[in-house]
Amino acid sequence: MKNIFFKNVKLGVFVLSGLLLLILLLYMIGRNRNMFGSNFNLRARFENVQGLKAGNNVRFSGIDIGTVKEVKIINDTLMEVEMIIDKKVKNILKKNAIVSITTDGLVGNKIVNITAVKSPSLYAEENDILPSKKSIDTDVMLRTLSKTNNDIAEIANNLKLTINKLNSSEGLWTLLNDKTISKNIDNALAEVNSASNNINNISRDIRTITKDIKKGKGTIGKLIRDTLLSKTIEEAVNNIKNAGVNILKLSSDLDNTVLNIDTIINNGEGTVHALMKDSGIVIKINKSLDNIQEGSKGFSDNMNALKHNILFRGYFRKLEKSRQKQ
Amino acid sequence: MKNTSSINIFLKEVGETSGFGWRFLTQWFRPRYEIKEFIKQCYIIGYKSLPLIGLTGFIMGLVLTMQLRPTMVDYGVESQIPAIVGIAIIREIGPVITALIFAGKIGSSIGAELGSMKVTEQIDAMEVSGTNPFKYLVVSRILATTFMLPVLVILSDTISLYGAYLGVNIRNVTSFQLFWIQVFDSLSFNDVLPAFIKTYFFGFAVGLIGCYKGYNSNKGTEGVGKSANSSVVVSSVLIFIIDLLAVQITDLLGFN
Repeated sequence: MKNIFFKNVKLGVFVLSGLLLLILLLYMIGRNRNMFGSNFNLRARFENVQGLKAGNNVRFSGIDIGTVKEVKIINDTLMEVEMIIDKKVKNILKKNAIVSITTDGLVGNKIVNITAVKSPSLYAEENDILPSKKSIDTDVMLRTLSKTNNDIAEIANNLKLTINKLNSSEGLWTLLNDKTISKNIDNALAEVNSASNNINNISRDIRTITKDIKKGKGTIGKLIRDTLLSKTIEEAVNNIKNAGVNILKLSSDLDNTVLNIDTIINNGEGTVHALMKDSGIVIKINKSLDNIQEGSKGFSDNMNALKHNILFRGYFRKLEKSRQKQ
Repeated sequence: MKNTSSINIFLKEVGETSGFGWRFLTQWFRPRYEIKEFIKQCYIIGYKSLPLIGLTGFIMGLVLTMQLRPTMVDYGVESQIPAIVGIAIIREIGPVITALIFAGKIGSSIGAELGSMKVTEQIDAMEVSGTNPFKYLVVSRILATTFMLPVLVILSDTISLYGAYLGVNIRNVTSFQLFWIQVFDSLSFNDVLPAFIKTYFFGFAVGLIGCYKGYNSNKGTEGVGKSANSSVVVSSVLIFIIDLLAVQITDLLGFN
């Protein structure tokens, strides 16, 4: 009887241990898949889920915080990924965290990566749709890489040609081997240095000058800053303007005068008009002039007769003698 | 007219085995229940098989790990050994190896026991004395194998994984915690449940074939040996066939 009892105990231990191990196994898997404990759901939408499946891990900054529950097709360009997230991160994960699909390692499983953004936002809640980021497609990456490789090959080729040309050019090498050049360059640099020092000084001076100007010192400063001077200048300018106006007036008066003169002359009044316009007067003047000529001739004859006169001969001889002495 | 071509014999065997199985299915839930005999058979079939199953499981885990290592090192995924060994043991190697060892130990013992009872006409005597020999002998044994094999498989899986852990640590240092996490990270319910459910069918097949072969044993000591032998062979083949069916069904249902 006792024997049977012990046998039954052993059997019970055997069966129970088997069942316990089974339960442990299922529990461990369930815990890994977030089937027990408190969770909440989050969603994200993608154009391409790249083979993401239910059960894939969800990571937040590298820590496993849940699994993918379901991948649904919403329409032909939009897929929705529903995730089960551990409630522990509920007060950590924010609404603006960015969801992306990446690969665990280079060839591993697909994982959903949630990355926090450093801007303030509310905490994510049940069934929120988090913003998603288009992840890098390996295909596209490799295609770009191949293009880059081609470019690099071309560049390397060109570089080779250039270097060959440089190597074959004697001028360059003599230039490089010439030791005086470096000395010259040294000197030149020293000069450049001093020049730049001078420029520095100049610029400093300019700075002080501009400072002075700003403060209103000196002529330019006064020009710019002195309000009194500007007033005077204004007055002067005004005066100039007035003078101009006066000149204008004067010139118009002059104009009028000339016009008057013109009309007077043309209308036959006064001496000038008679002189310029009357032809009869001209003849009279001519006659008068002829008469004067005749009169002067008669006077000349009279003078010659006087010279030969005894009374006046002595005076003329004296005049001749004094002329000869000179 | 006697038709004794091998195909006909095979078909007759299949038909009779199916009929025997059907008889079991229509009988096991009806009273009266032979509970004491069931528990006794459970003790013999389950508990007594544990050392053998445990040993083979341990060695399988250890050997599998050590055999996998060179290839995994070649591929540079040495760190994935726990995951791969875990999946292999839980999904396939644990259930099938355990069931085969179980068939070898239990199938033969049932076949020989019932065969000798049949030969010595104890079964007929039982019927005369008023006990239903089918219920007392067959139903209790088939139920015991059906319910004990899954338990054995779970224990064997555990021991195998421990063997694998030791195997990993021969050449490498992996903490038990890391090994544990790596194994369970790679496992899902789709790995465990189909593998667990199919062990019920393995157990049922071993019990059914053993009982059928023993129950219908030929007269004479030669018949006993033959029924013991053929019960092991047929149940082993049946285990593989069920395994094939199981993987196809799980694949069809999308659990794979």
